[in-house]
Amino acid sequence: MSDGIGIWRCRACGIGYFPERLLCSRCHTHDFVADRVTEGVVEEITVIRHVLGQTDWQPRRLANVRTVNGPRITVGLRDESGPGTVIALFQEGTAPFGAAKSAS
Amino acid sequence: MSMNAAIIGVGQSAYMRRPQSGQSTHTFLRDAVVAALQDAEVDASDIQGMAVTSFSIAPDTAIDLAWRLGLSLRWLLQDTNGGSSAMNMLGHALRGVETGAASPILVVAGDATGLGGYAKIAANYNIATREHLAPLGHGGPNGVYSLVTTRQMNKYGLTKSDYGHIAIAQRAWAAKNPFAVYRTPLTMEEYLAAPMVADPLTRYDCVPVVAGAQALIIAHPDRCPRGRAPVRVRAIRNSFNYDNQEGDGLQTGISTFADELWQAADARPAEIDVASIYDDYPAMVLAQLNDLGMIPDHDLAAYARREIGERRVPINTWGGMMSAGQPGGPAGGLNGISEAVLQLQHRAGERQVKGARRAVTTGYGMTLYRYGGTAAAAIMERME
Repeated sequence: MSDGIGIWRCRACGIGYFPERLLCSRCHTHDFVADRVTEGVVEEITVIRHVLGQTDWQPRRLANVRTVNGPRITVGLRDESGPGTVIALFQEGTAPFGAAKSAS
Repeated sequence: MSMNAAIIGVGQSAYMRRPQSGQSTHTFLRDAVVAALQDAEVDASDIQGMAVTSFSIAPDTAIDLAWRLGLSLRWLLQDTNGGSSAMNMLGHALRGVETGAASPILVVAGDATGLGGYAKIAANYNIATREHLAPLGHGGPNGVYSLVTTRQMNKYGLTKSDYGHIAIAQRAWAAKNPFAVYRTPLTMEEYLAAPMVADPLTRYDCVPVVAGAQALIIAHPDRCPRGRAPVRVRAIRNSFNYDNQEGDGLQTGISTFADELWQAADARPAEIDVASIYDDYPAMVLAQLNDLGMIPDHDLAAYARREIGERRVPINTWGGMMSAGQPGGPAGGLNGISEAVLQLQHRAGERQVKGARRAVTTGYGMTLYRYGGTAAAAIMERME
């Protein structure tokens, strides 16, 4: 696990992207610098309760998160944080997750 | 407007929840092709062009399908745009006939993934999904559109029962469609009591995956079978990656061309007799109708309760994918076009909308990350 979620920020215009792009959609340059977003605000949540082909599925919480000076990211929620909560973001491999700051 | 190209025939395979032994994507595609050729009264040896789309035809491609169908062609297309593939292929085929590149052109779409195959496709839909969503256990598009639906509910003041009106109205239409996999009438009580799949989406908000295929024949209107009105397309527009996934997903790419579409068709929303709106989720039906300018004052809740709930507007008269089934997004989109053709040719049987003359059809799909990246719409008309 690593703190924050790795994003790609356009060096020319400063826009942050997640997932990775090939060209910046604003200025169409391809000079990106690695950056990290460490917190965000939960906007909407869902609970995945049923998945096709899975017989022993355990419900999982997902959230749409607005990051500070960064993109909106869909994360796996590791606690019961609800809409409006500021959460800490972290990454496991390529997967983005979040949990309330006090619980992180 | 296409003056020298029209849809002259349609056909479909059986739809079923689970393909039987010996059935495959290819056999469903074949069944739809045979049905469309018969319906259009066209010999297979006369077909000069073919467009195909399928999530499950690999490793074969369009040329393999041409070979296995015994079609020697001079125009060939394979489309990869999911829920708007059908609309995209329709546009290309119309232009192909109009410009003399080929005629007749066969347009076909279908899938027979089975539930396990569908789950694999959903988890590997694109690199972004494979890397950043599937490891979360996002449940395929249900997870993505559950978040979109919550946003739409918050923005427009929609309640769960508002979406129920769409599912219930479409089920009532499906009862009159012998190809639909779910035909038993649905009540609001049953809708609201259905098991939750991905909050707030319940079972009846999620399209049932089926095996099946659809096909159309495009040709000069003169080739239409005697006694049947050809269907022409007054205008068609597409949108791809309209906002780089930087919005909220509550508008679709249709919002970028709707005014131009109506103007090019010389038509108004009030003149539409029947609508086929791509219904992967109820929220996206409302979003597309709103983008088309068909919802007065952008009051989605009132429209759902009154226009749809009270059956004032014929939308998805074959039952939509939510009741008829989704044989992959590509064939699901083609089903909406086929139904519009049947309605405009006054061949829709029990579900015929009296005097139907103009229809709007849409496509939507290819969930890039947070919502769909492709959209399309067409205004279709019965040629008298």
